[in-house]
Amino acid sequence: MSDKIEQVQSEALRAVEECGSAEELQQLRIRYLGKKGSIQELMAEMKSLPKEEKPAFGQKVNLLKAAVSQAIEARQEVLSAGEMDARLAAEKIDITLPGNRTEIGTIHPLQLIRRELEDLFVGMGYTIAEGPEVELDHYNFELANIPKDHPARDMQDTFYIDPNTLLRTHTTAMQMRELEKAEGKLPIKLICPGKVYRRDDDDATHSHQFMQCEGLVVGEHITLADLKGTLEYAANVMFGGGRKIRFRPSYFPFTEPSVEVDVSCPFCNGKGCSVCKHSGWIEILGAGMVHPHVLEINGFDPEKCSGFAFGIGLERMTMLKYGIDDIRNFYTNDLRFLKTFDRFD
Amino acid sequence: MKLSYKWLSEYVDLHDITPEELADRMTTAGLEVEGIEKAASGTNLVIGEVLECWDHPDSDHLHVTKTKIGPNPEDVTQIVCGAPNCRAGLKVITALPGSELPVGKIGAKPVRGQESNGMLCSLSELGVPKSWQSEYQLAGIEELPADAPVGETNVIGYLGLDDTILDVSLTPNRADCSSMWNMAKEVGAILDRKVTWPDYEGCADKGTPTDFKVSLATDKCSCFYGKVVNHVEVGPSPEWLVRCLHAAGMNSINNVVDISNFVMLETGQPLHYYNLAKLPAHEITVVDDRDMKMTALDGVEFDIQKGDLLITTGGEATGIAGIMGGEESMIDENTTAIFIEAASFNPVSVRRTSIRLNLLTEAAQRFTKGVEPLGMHKAVDRSVQLLEKYCNASGFEETVVAGCENYTPVTVTETLSHCNALLGTAFTMEQVKDVLRRLDFAPEVNGDEIISHIPSYRTDIERQADIDEEVIRLIGFDSLGSTLPMMEATVGMKTPAQKMRDTTRDIMSGFALHEIVTYTLVSDDYIRSAYQPVGEAVELAMPMSEARRFVRTSLMNSVLECLQYNEAHQNVNNNVFEISTVYGKGIEGERLAVALDGKIADDPLHHTVKEGDFYALKGILCAWLERLGYSGSRIQVKENRTDTEHFHPYRSAELWLDKNLLGVFGEVHPAYAKKFDLKRTAYAEIDLKPVFGGRTSKIHYAPLDRYPSVSRDIALVVRTEVTAKEILDVVRKFGKKLVRSSEIFDVYEGEHVEKGYKSVALRIIYAAGDHTLKEEEIAGAHGAIVDNLRKALNAELRS
Repeated sequence: MSDKIEQVQSEALRAVEECGSAEELQQLRIRYLGKKGSIQELMAEMKSLPKEEKPAFGQKVNLLKAAVSQAIEARQEVLSAGEMDARLAAEKIDITLPGNRTEIGTIHPLQLIRRELEDLFVGMGYTIAEGPEVELDHYNFELANIPKDHPARDMQDTFYIDPNTLLRTHTTAMQMRELEKAEGKLPIKLICPGKVYRRDDDDATHSHQFMQCEGLVVGEHITLADLKGTLEYAANVMFGGGRKIRFRPSYFPFTEPSVEVDVSCPFCNGKGCSVCKHSGWIEILGAGMVHPHVLEINGFDPEKCSGFAFGIGLERMTMLKYGIDDIRNFYTNDLRFLKTFDRFD
Repeated sequence: MKLSYKWLSEYVDLHDITPEELADRMTTAGLEVEGIEKAASGTNLVIGEVLECWDHPDSDHLHVTKTKIGPNPEDVTQIVCGAPNCRAGLKVITALPGSELPVGKIGAKPVRGQESNGMLCSLSELGVPKSWQSEYQLAGIEELPADAPVGETNVIGYLGLDDTILDVSLTPNRADCSSMWNMAKEVGAILDRKVTWPDYEGCADKGTPTDFKVSLATDKCSCFYGKVVNHVEVGPSPEWLVRCLHAAGMNSINNVVDISNFVMLETGQPLHYYNLAKLPAHEITVVDDRDMKMTALDGVEFDIQKGDLLITTGGEATGIAGIMGGEESMIDENTTAIFIEAASFNPVSVRRTSIRLNLLTEAAQRFTKGVEPLGMHKAVDRSVQLLEKYCNASGFEETVVAGCENYTPVTVTETLSHCNALLGTAFTMEQVKDVLRRLDFAPEVNGDEIISHIPSYRTDIERQADIDEEVIRLIGFDSLGSTLPMMEATVGMKTPAQKMRDTTRDIMSGFALHEIVTYTLVSDDYIRSAYQPVGEAVELAMPMSEARRFVRTSLMNSVLECLQYNEAHQNVNNNVFEISTVYGKGIEGERLAVALDGKIADDPLHHTVKEGDFYALKGILCAWLERLGYSGSRIQVKENRTDTEHFHPYRSAELWLDKNLLGVFGEVHPAYAKKFDLKRTAYAEIDLKPVFGGRTSKIHYAPLDRYPSVSRDIALVVRTEVTAKEILDVVRKFGKKLVRSSEIFDVYEGEHVEKGYKSVALRIIYAAGDHTLKEEEIAGAHGAIVDNLRKALNAELRS
């Protein structure tokens, strides 16, 4: 009888092992484990055995049953995994088709640079001033130490509306409003970005409308070296680390001393390239110490305080940063151009 | 300013500094050199003599020459020359084979079969500017003097053209440097070298008594020096003088006129010499009260108005003061006696007159920038000295002076501590004093104080800050450290409005819109057809063009123009926004424009295509306002009763925030869109003042529902005119507190729905915060809603 058990076991295990489908396996399950299956038959045969052999035989059959059902379960798992695979394979997609087209809009490059500057200076404790573009001569010129008939006021440069009103020619007008508003109270620490206008024919490098961002700091011990440190910090943020700043003497009516500020060329690291015309330096802005007369006419005592001011041309800075060769691009708003600026960079 | 290196070296020793080095030093000190050009250049040149010259056999204009190029008999070579003035006996500039000229490299090769070993040159071929040459010189090769040494190889030196011209850009405060003498002082200060001016002082002190009278009938002429010279001999100028004028960009006329210009270039003081015989009287009056016509030196007639400074003599106008002399009293070859004028005219007056008459002469430009107080005296002294030497001048009468207050030298007192405090430096007194010494400021040190005695020509130095600037620019900015301000802490923060402006840009770009920036100045047409102008348009007094005459009162036309441009350039889905101020007389507004021209989602592959229509725009605007902090109940979309000129009357609406009309949005009226070649375009222009200035709703936390919600759909058929709002209002009103949300998810008109009716499907979510809803509760609320939809809207329930 024991031989028979072994025979059933080896036969069953082989059949299970060789079984190729769930259906077949189900039939094997019936054949061996079913109510009329081979194992049940063996159990039935136990009745004919002598009493003393029954327990041993029963145990063997139970072991056989366990082995077979375990084999079937194992096989079942293998088979169903394969069927899942097949079903999933049938669901295969072409992953090289593009994903859902998710258009992202853009912020105008001048506004990107403006925000970058704002964030930079706000982080250094500056506030952001605002003021009108249709401005009084008083703020645009008089308070900025550019009296009537100063050559800097040539009619060719300014869009006048009437003798006292004009389109602001520089954001300095906002500085003057803020100085006046402060009523002699220190400190002042602000930037004033905005649109300005000059009588220029539009071409690749000139625009009758452009944007500036000026900065103004007035306090008790503000020095020219502070101006240099501040601009060096800003240049490193705007153009990447390792930038150096160079001052060259210049002239603006509202600052004394006045300087032109060069930054070491970010394209060649100061070695000389076509962008910096092989000088290693690029002129980026004008700056200086607030002219004592400007402080005086705005109600500050130049003996007791000093200040610095700087003015950045946003178009120039943006053109430099991205290598843009025509200023008109900013105002033509061709979407192909705008879509280039699809991130804060 | 054109600065001749050679001329400059007459005053300052430059033997060990090249023009390029000089340019660097000047630029570093604030006198920016924008260009460096040699007056002439060329290698392998020699002075030659044409021995024989015959016509080229195969040309109608070429000559073949035998040219002697050295002292020995064998130094003769054959050169073909095309110049019409080429002839035997001429001394010429010869470029030998291998010579490099600005026009190219010269070789030895046959010209039309005739051997040619080099080139006979014109000055232009050596790079000499055309303005330095006569018509005759420009027409042919240069004709050297008969005594020119054949074989001389330093040809450029022989010609006196061994000079380099620096193009210096002077800032307005340094007009003093447009005088060669003052420029020499500046260069001397930069290089720390001695500067020697010609010994001219007192040359005009001599003179016999004069009957010439000068009077000033206006305070706009503060000083006038006049001097009669009874004898001069007009003739050509010496070569050195011509070269100096050329280098400065001026032409040579005759020795007398040239000296007036030369002295102006030296001293910075404009001069005018009159032909004494042509002055109707021995009298000059400076006036500014005439209204008349007058013919100036260049033969053109000008309109003189009251306020223009005028030189009159015997009541007649003889010159536009400080700008140009009259034709009548011009110096010509027949002039034998002159009257010298050196005066100080009001810069503002000269500037106004010269701009109005478009006469920006050298003199006018100098007066506009202001002349130095001692300039007149210097110029008259120097004039007399040079006229005597180069024009055989004699018969001087004593100098007539009108006005001219005594000059008081300016002194400025600065302290070392103040200077260092402003600059953020640690300069020593020695360093500061050294700079001021180099500048000829004759510094006097007194403890911490340093007193500067400012030379008369440095009219830009008035106060301490000016001294500080001189110190830093001459010691050099390299000595300046980098620090950050040490001051009271300040809070850097954007205002709520500034933050909202940033957020608006982020939201709009997040909706796939592209920000544009368009011009503020627009045409009359754009103003007349403006959408909701903020006020009466501000007009420029002198626009540059009709297209840019007004400050815009609204953004719509500019934005539509931008769409038109983009369509014309084959760009599709041009969805844009702009944030900008707008202006009217006495009023400023700020607006947001949004324009959808095309699809807002365009992905046919994945079946997501969405037109940029009214609903797309409405979705963007409402989401934007909610995101800024305005809860949905404060935002209202109402029927458009404001503007059907620019907007489609049935596909547009008003957008309200609380009690403020923000603007109209919707489809642009097809008739208006056509103006910009646009088809279906959705547009919104929103007043930002109430948005950026409004009180935003705070974020409100409510505990999440703990009990399940139940969703019920209703399908209705209503008349087409019934609005979504009317339906949802009924749901809200009768659903009591159990309705958590309700939305319309389908609207259908067409087949299976009677004409004039539409089918509307809505979904209502019911829930209660404190228990699981019972079926009866839901049925009650739902039933009430359905009943009232029937009653109020005549709605028919579909199964």
